[in-house]
Amino acid sequence: MSARTRRFEQACVSAGSALVIVYALAPVAWIVSLSLKPAADLGDGRLLPARATLDQYRAVFADPGFAAALVNSLGVASLATALSVALAAAAAYALVRLTFPGRQLLLSAALAVAMFPPVAIIGPLFDLWRVVGLYDTWPGLVLPYMTFTLPLAIWTLTAFFRQIPWELEKAARVDGATRLQAFYRVIVPLAAPGMFAAAVLVFIFAWNDFLFALSLTSTDAARTVPAVIAFFTGSSQFERPAGAIAAASVVVTAPIVVLVAVFEKRIVAGLTAGAVKG
Amino acid sequence: MSAAARDTRLAWLLCAPAVAAMLLVTAYPIAYAVWLSLFRYDLRFPEQRAFVGLANYASVLGSEVWWQAVVNTLIVTVASVSLELVLGFAFALLMHRALFGRRVLRTALLVPYGIVTVVAALAWRLAFDPTTGFVNRLLELDGDWLAERGTAFAVIVFAEVWKTTPFMALLLLAGFTLVPPELSSAARVDGATRVQTFFRVTLPLMRPAVVVALLFRTLDAFRVFDTVFVLTGGAQDTASVSIVAYRALITRLNLGLGSAVAVIVFACVVGIAALVGALFGVPYAAAGARRR
Amino acid sequence: MSRIASIALSICGALPLAGCGPERPAGAPVLRWYVFNEPSGAFAAAASACSAAAKGAYTVSLVPLPADADQQREQLVRRLAAGDRDVDLVGMDVIWTAEFAAAGWILPFGDAEAARVEGRLAPTLESASWDGRLWAAPFTTNAQLLWYRADRVPEPPATWDDMLRQAMALGRDGTVEAQGARYEGLTVLFVSLLRSSGGRLLDDSNREVSLAPAPTERALEVLARFATSGAAPANFSNAREDDSRLAFEAGHASFMLNYTFVWPSAQRNAPEVARHMAWARWPRVSADLPSRVTLGGINVGVGAHGRHPALAFDAAVCLASADNQRMAARMGALPPTIESLYDDPAVRAQLPFADALRDTLRDAVQRPQTPLYSDVSLAIDGALHPPRAIDPPVTAARLRAAVGRALRSEGLL
Repeated sequence: MSARTRRFEQACVSAGSALVIVYALAPVAWIVSLSLKPAADLGDGRLLPARATLDQYRAVFADPGFAAALVNSLGVASLATALSVALAAAAAYALVRLTFPGRQLLLSAALAVAMFPPVAIIGPLFDLWRVVGLYDTWPGLVLPYMTFTLPLAIWTLTAFFRQIPWELEKAARVDGATRLQAFYRVIVPLAAPGMFAAAVLVFIFAWNDFLFALSLTSTDAARTVPAVIAFFTGSSQFERPAGAIAAASVVVTAPIVVLVAVFEKRIVAGLTAGAVKG
Repeated sequence: MSAAARDTRLAWLLCAPAVAAMLLVTAYPIAYAVWLSLFRYDLRFPEQRAFVGLANYASVLGSEVWWQAVVNTLIVTVASVSLELVLGFAFALLMHRALFGRRVLRTALLVPYGIVTVVAALAWRLAFDPTTGFVNRLLELDGDWLAERGTAFAVIVFAEVWKTTPFMALLLLAGFTLVPPELSSAARVDGATRVQTFFRVTLPLMRPAVVVALLFRTLDAFRVFDTVFVLTGGAQDTASVSIVAYRALITRLNLGLGSAVAVIVFACVVGIAALVGALFGVPYAAAGARRR
Repeated sequence: MSRIASIALSICGALPLAGCGPERPAGAPVLRWYVFNEPSGAFAAAASACSAAAKGAYTVSLVPLPADADQQREQLVRRLAAGDRDVDLVGMDVIWTAEFAAAGWILPFGDAEAARVEGRLAPTLESASWDGRLWAAPFTTNAQLLWYRADRVPEPPATWDDMLRQAMALGRDGTVEAQGARYEGLTVLFVSLLRSSGGRLLDDSNREVSLAPAPTERALEVLARFATSGAAPANFSNAREDDSRLAFEAGHASFMLNYTFVWPSAQRNAPEVARHMAWARWPRVSADLPSRVTLGGINVGVGAHGRHPALAFDAAVCLASADNQRMAARMGALPPTIESLYDDPAVRAQLPFADALRDTLRDAVQRPQTPLYSDVSLAIDGALHPPRAIDPPVTAARLRAAVGRALRSEGLL
């Protein structure tokens, strides 16, 4: 390949990259723009605001329900992430390292569980949670989030774990470590990147969920941000508070953007490691 | 205790918490839904509850609304998944090749994947709206995208594609890393064109990644709910099967009929998974296989 | 409320005999009022006014529901069907009365309590009644008016035919903003057209389809003619109340059929437009019949599973009292259900269209009062959408069949 065609190719790739970046970020820019428009300009159809104001953000943060929802979202999503990854790691370890009857069944059943339409789960779960006292509590949301992400987490980690050089574990045990010690000292550091990627997947799921959050909470005690947005009202019953919704959307999107910007490398590494071995 | 028995015991011990959580949170509601689907049961008329066998299933499968929803769902699924596959390849290739700004590119692509679905759908709804939106102004169009069936589907598919192509691209990127660069160089030396190299060398090696990506996205797309709910609410004949289930279960409180819809959707999804498995191999079953 | 207390509460709610005391052993019982998240704070003010008036017998605490009416109902119904003891008071959309009453989710008012709900406009009382009993205290009401641009329209049109003619004559600015999306608003539009042409959706028993061919086809014909004319906005088949408002405030329309919230909103967001904004009664369909639009609004009912029904009835009557209605009108521009308040200067200052609204409300009609209302509404939306595809005789037949199926609770909708 001549240097010239190579340069040409690089130019194409760079132009393509620029296009893709615009593609990915345009809607985000649009919500930011909406959130900055004063109420009277919401209908002007301009991509960029003619005048900008932080009124919507002030209004959103002045709402005590919204601040509580941010705390709930963070708490619920973090707890669900920690639990799901811990449980999935244990299961994935067993699936990769041990031969036991029912292994295939377990994997298929886990995936089948994740395929059920969530709409159908809401009703029974609502009744069950009220009987056991989990309705409108953090655990009441953590449990379904954890469960719905377990299959994906188990699957990602199983694939990841299979790439770990397990001989090292054996070597450690020959050196006198117990199975548990060998696991924690040798394997966990190797498995960390995969677990991190799984954690991000779980966190994004929990952070984004709308249906469970709306149905299984009723007060500031557990309501999360996507659900609280449904409670926003305009100046009257019929007005759609597009500006406030946009501002809240920006606030709820910001942590995700920070998360992916900081951990971009690890997420990609984790995701790709989990996906390749078929 | 033999080593095998010890292994088995340890394995189940390790799996027990995950299994217990899944049983509690999903297996019970699923079993309950299957049970309810055999009854005439409307929450508004609890005293009329009666066992009706498979009558709810007959009612759903004999309904025009259901088959319309199946067609709608297939339109969205096929259109969005195929577009995502093509775009996903392009994006993956860019990520693979980009020398400058690789990090920015990946970060930007992760944003649609991470953004709240409801928020993204709302952003598109407002963008395509003829009064508040910028799309019509930009394209100098007059008219409402979401008011016509064809254009409404276009917006739904567009929103779905925007949101999920990055996921597809990342899975495919993993596939690219499977292809040793020597191999394609060798093919090129042997006189193959780029296109030939891609289809004869790269693609076959990437097959596992492609199958996984297709499977995951198809299963998701078939249950599409948030995007349709926010954009059209099922109007203009765009209701997906999940929207139909929602209307029966949540709006009408007809738990019998709604559960039957849910169970049929579930059966469809399992069927699709089995079909993909039969056609392209079973990646998820293989995930548990031991490779020594 | 602290998280721990709320967990304890929900456990107590589930196990009333498990030794849980009331959450405020020393204080008065707390009555929870589930109602939509009213933005002006008028409902919260009513709750504290009634807590003060109860002099320690109870306090009313507000539990806000989502902004969207369908989501309000979904959340409430899930609780009520599960026998939630926390629901003491329910802020009910007028279309829920029959459903909630028939399912046994709310309690009927006794004669003594009903006697305290006085001075209401007859249709608002009717909206809170079912099966010959009163099930809620009418609090705020609402109905659509015809809003128009006085700078372009010298005389408001009396009939739909007039309105469409004037609109067409105005050309580009002649748009009539109305709601044709597939949701409750389309049902409102159709039922108003139907009742204004002398037809009815259900018969007197509220159990069978009425839909006499002549008025039904007349109503459908008007709707179809409007939807296919240049007078309909481009987004008509996707427009909800707020889309209409935004379009009118942007100045592109000369007419709008909408609720009264558009008045304060225009004052605030589009003073230029508001200066020329005038109102009239909804246009007639037949020149010889008054227009009859459907009633909206919120009634206060008493949850059937609450712990303190007697106190809740007292609170419901108080929340919907004349004082609180005046406050709701003043703070949130919510139209009162008590007829005499339309002469109250404080109310008239907020609602300058009070006379036209009172006239409209006196003639207002109910959306079909049936426990299966949400099914019926889904059936109507499904059969009539998109409005421009309506072919009167064919659509009438389809509508009759769909509503019939809905009333028998059959099949998918």
